[in-house]
Parts: sequence; C-alpha cells; structure tokens
Amino acid sequence: MNFVPASADQPIRRRIGNFARRSVIVESSVKMSEPAIGDLRDPAYLKIRDVIYQTSGIYQPKEKLYLLASRCARRMGAVGAKTPTEYLGHLTARGNRKAELRSLLNEITIGETYMFRSVPQLEALRRIVLPQILENKIAQGGSPHLQLWSAGCSTGEEPYTLAMFLSEERRRLLAGWTFNILATDLNDNSLSVAKAGIYGEHALRSTAEPLRRAYFHPCGGDQLQISDQLKSVVRFERVNLHDDGSMKMLHGMDVIFCCNVLIYFDLASKRKVIQHFHSSLSPGGYLFLGNAESLFQVDGRFRLVHFPGAIGYRKPALDTSTEVKREPRPS
Amino acid sequence: MNPDHLKELCPRIEALEAMPADPGIVQTLTTMLQLPPDQVDMTKVVELVAYDGTITAHCLRMANSPRFGRRNTETIRGAVLALGLERVEAILMGYCPDRIVPAERSTFDALTFWRHSLGCALVSRKLAKLIGYRDCEKAYLAGLLHDLGVLVNMLVCTEEFRQCIQAAREARVALRQIEEQRLGFTHCESGKLLAEHWKFSADVLAVIEHHHDVAAAPSAHGLVSLIHLSDLLCRLRGLGYGYYEGMGIDLAADPAWATLEEECPALRRIDLMRITMDIDGAMYEIVDVVNAIFRP
Repeated sequence: MNFVPASADQPIRRRIGNFARRSVIVESSVKMSEPAIGDLRDPAYLKIRDVIYQTSGIYQPKEKLYLLASRCARRMGAVGAKTPTEYLGHLTARGNRKAELRSLLNEITIGETYMFRSVPQLEALRRIVLPQILENKIAQGGSPHLQLWSAGCSTGEEPYTLAMFLSEERRRLLAGWTFNILATDLNDNSLSVAKAGIYGEHALRSTAEPLRRAYFHPCGGDQLQISDQLKSVVRFERVNLHDDGSMKMLHGMDVIFCCNVLIYFDLASKRKVIQHFHSSLSPGGYLFLGNAESLFQVDGRFRLVHFPGAIGYRKPALDTSTEVKREPRPS
Repeated sequence: MNPDHLKELCPRIEALEAMPADPGIVQTLTTMLQLPPDQVDMTKVVELVAYDGTITAHCLRMANSPRFGRRNTETIRGAVLALGLERVEAILMGYCPDRIVPAERSTFDALTFWRHSLGCALVSRKLAKLIGYRDCEKAYLAGLLHDLGVLVNMLVCTEEFRQCIQAAREARVALRQIEEQRLGFTHCESGKLLAEHWKFSADVLAVIEHHHDVAAAPSAHGLVSLIHLSDLLCRLRGLGYGYYEGMGIDLAADPAWATLEEECPALRRIDLMRITMDIDGAMYEIVDVVNAIFRP
C-alpha cells in the first residue's frame, strides 16, 4: 500500500482546483514539438469548438480543449491568424470558411487510421452486440451469416481489422457462422491502397504479433501484406454515400462502421446518409461512429447505447418503447 | 432479501464500529490535525474528509448521534464543523484503522472500492451541475456513500464476498447479481442496515438501498436516479470495480432517466451524447484526481 505523504496534498489540491475551475492542465498535456497554443481560457476556443460541433457533429469537452487548441495552432500558422478570435473569423465569416473548416477537421482527425484503433468498440462487438445479433437471428430462423459494412473505409485498416477480429471469433462466438465485410469509399486512390493491403509499422502499431503472423506476409522492407485468405472476406466497392441509387442497393447489414466520415457533411446530407444507414441495417443492427461524433438532431430513430469505453447507435428491433436494454443476467 | 440472512446479518452489521479508510488520506489528515489549531485550514480538512467515504460516514454518524444532540447534519462540512478538529482526529484514531483492511479480509483491492466511490461522487456532482439539479453537494455526498454496503460485505462475510467478486469478474456481470445469488442479499441491503443503524438521512439511505433499483425507492427519487446514472457512467467509463462488465445501456430508456426528468425538466431537451462526452472529458480529470489520491 502506498501512502500519500502530506507534501503530496498540494498537487492534489491543485488538481482538484483545476477540476473545479475546468481549466485544463496545458503545460503537461501538450508535447513540446507541437506549435505553441494560446491561453485556453480564451472564449474563442469554446466558440470554435461549438462551430465544429454544429457543422460536423464532432465534440470536444472542455477538458480536451488543449487538443483542439493545438490543432487550431497549426491552422492559425497556415492562414496567418494571430489569435483564436482572428482564426474564428476564418471559420465563420470569410469566403473560404468551408475549405478552412475542412482543413481543420483534417487536422483533428489526422493520424487516426490504424488497425485496432478502437478496442472498446471491438470489445462491445464481442461481448454485447454480436451475441445479441446472433441470438436475434437464431430466434428468427435466419441464416447463420453476418454482414458488416465499413462505410468510408479509406485505405482499408478498418475493414481488415474487422476481418481479423471476426476470423479470430470463428473458433468461439462465430463457430458455425459465416461473414463478409463490405468496405466502401469514394476515393479511388484509397481503394487501390486498400485492395493491395500493404501496410507499414504506423498502421500496424496496435496489431499483436500472433495476428501479424496469422493474417499477413512480409512483402519487402518493414511492410506486411494482408493474406489472400483475409482479403477474400472483404469486398471493396466505390460508393458515394450521397448517391441514393447506390445506397438503396445496400441492405441486410448487421453492423455499420462509419468513423469520421459524416463530419465533412452538412446537416441535410448527414440526415440523408443516416436515413440510408437506417434502411440498410437489419432490425436490431448497430451503427458505430467515430468516438467524438454525435447524431444529436441528425436522427432520432436510433437508440444511443453506452458500452464500456464506447458508444453505439442501435436500430430498434421492433417497438422502441419496449426496448430497454438492461444489464445482462449472469449466465 | 432472504429473511434468514437478514436476521443473521443484522447483529453483525450493528456490531461494526471501525471501518477501514484509505491510509493515505488518514495520514495526511492526521498530520494536518496535529498542527496548532490556529494553523489548521478548516476548508482543507473538509476537502480531505470528503475524499473518503468511510471517514465521511464516521463523521456524519457521530455528528448525528445523541451525544451531539442529533443535529441532522446532512453535509460533510456541517458534520466536520459540528464535531470540531479534536473529534475528527479522534475518529481517525479510533474508528479508521491505519491498516487498509486486514490481509485475511482483503477480498479485492480496496483501492478500487475507494476509487469507484470518489469517482461516483465527482461524476454525480458533475452531472448534477450539467442538468441543473438543485443540490450538487448532496449529489456528491450520496455518490461517495452509495456503495457503503460493499465495505460492509467485505467485513461481515469476507470469504463469501471474495467468491462473489471472483464470480462477478469471471461472468463480467454486475456484482449485485452474484451477491443476490450467493449471499441472498446485496450490498444495497447490507449498506442500508448500517446506514440505518448509523442514522443517516433518509435520502442518503434511499440512495444506498435503491441505487440499483430506482423504482423501488420510497423517496428521494431524483437523487437516487442521479446516483444510479452516475454509477453506471463510472462503470462504463473505467471507474467501476476493476473488471469489464459486459453491458450495453440505453441511458435515455432507463427508468431513472425519466424519473430525473421530472425533477430536472431541462433534461428533456438535453443532448445526451454531448453530456456523455462532457462527462467523458471530466472523467480524464476525475481519474487523474482519483489516482493522485489513491495511488495504484
């Protein structure tokens, strides 16, 4: 047992004070290599946060404003804005505000693409979502097959992660089940990279060694290529999420992942895409978005479900009023 | 609760006098209280007492005892002021053993218990502020004390409780479900017995007994609902009992949400995702604070 010495009380008080005042511990949280950021108490940062939330649905709590501020600092340097207030003008008043907002969103979501990026989402899939979906399918006498969709799959890290995850579950949860993964993106270059399935250490930094051995083979330098066997369960397609015709063709999905894609859409487009996702999902299916993305005022038909460390949106199975998901009973 | 178990449990709970507190806080507080009285910062004393559910419980118990004229003190500050520095020190010396829990009773990491209690107190106050709940400090106190029964179970049925923790961990389910099966009672019921014996206020008592079953609460429905939701958020965000609970919770469909809405109409127009992310954000700091106090 460690004792907290009397002298340790001061830092505790300081931390409590910080907690109460909601001012963020800037100095210790921002790496030295990042651009200098201004005073986080500047109300312009909260306004920038709200502009981003209203336009993209991405939300940063006050405690994580330092992250937003560091991203803003990079863009402020690029556009020559000297203060957060001046930069706010670039996001709201200037003619090129949409382009600037997009650049800022790129900064915010940068570096997020790598395999096994969101373990809590996968745990939720393993522990709650899939057992629930399998149970529903068995009860309804459906075929033992799962269909997942990675919408906006970029260079393929997400669909291959899902493929590895589900393949590993073949010996446990998914014994006797088959599955496939639809992976779509609008960008042809991204899709080419995804189909080639060649990744370096950056993309593989969270991929455990046994998984690397099972699902990859070396292909020169430090790079690894996805095995043909794993590729065979992922189908890549070029799909524009705005295209009603293509979207209506996609149905019978059990789970959809669409992380950090809708943030670039305006509200009307977002509503339309979410409507399509709703139609594409089977009753009781789930939609997962990026960690900080919200559907507030976008669509009220999904139920927001909290999992340990993750959040998902559930398409009600039947009547929403009877769908209260409680803590599971012990087996 | 099984009546036989209740009968057997009552005298053992009523016999509980000393309850272990976190030694880090006990030591810091004791050092502070040994200073000349005019050098002691009372605000700091209250703050430190409020970090630990056990010390808080002892202070409330004594401040509300007949010896102090049953003042019906309902706040931590009120209890500390009513008792005075000397008696707070006496509580630390007499009722909060300096050893965390006797080795044979350490059914699970007691730090995890204290972390969860303080985490729940902080989240409860945070949520209370966000939704305009009328008494944020009461929310903090109730959050701090809601799981008092866990400590009771650890002390009065050590071996059986150890098995419960182990089984809950393995099945990845809520502790109370296993307690119900194996003990015939839960920490809610044993906590309530102690809280009654120690003459806690009715609303705190309702929280201790009904924070997992809001609909059954006879009173203080808003407060019980608030603590129920805060407890869930803690367990969903890494401040639970140290293991993964396989749960998917639709908070807005939880009966507690509707109950709390009655007291805080602002909740009807609330952006639940935004609140969750605000609490998630605060959780980073809460975990930071909790870890600073209860070092792993």
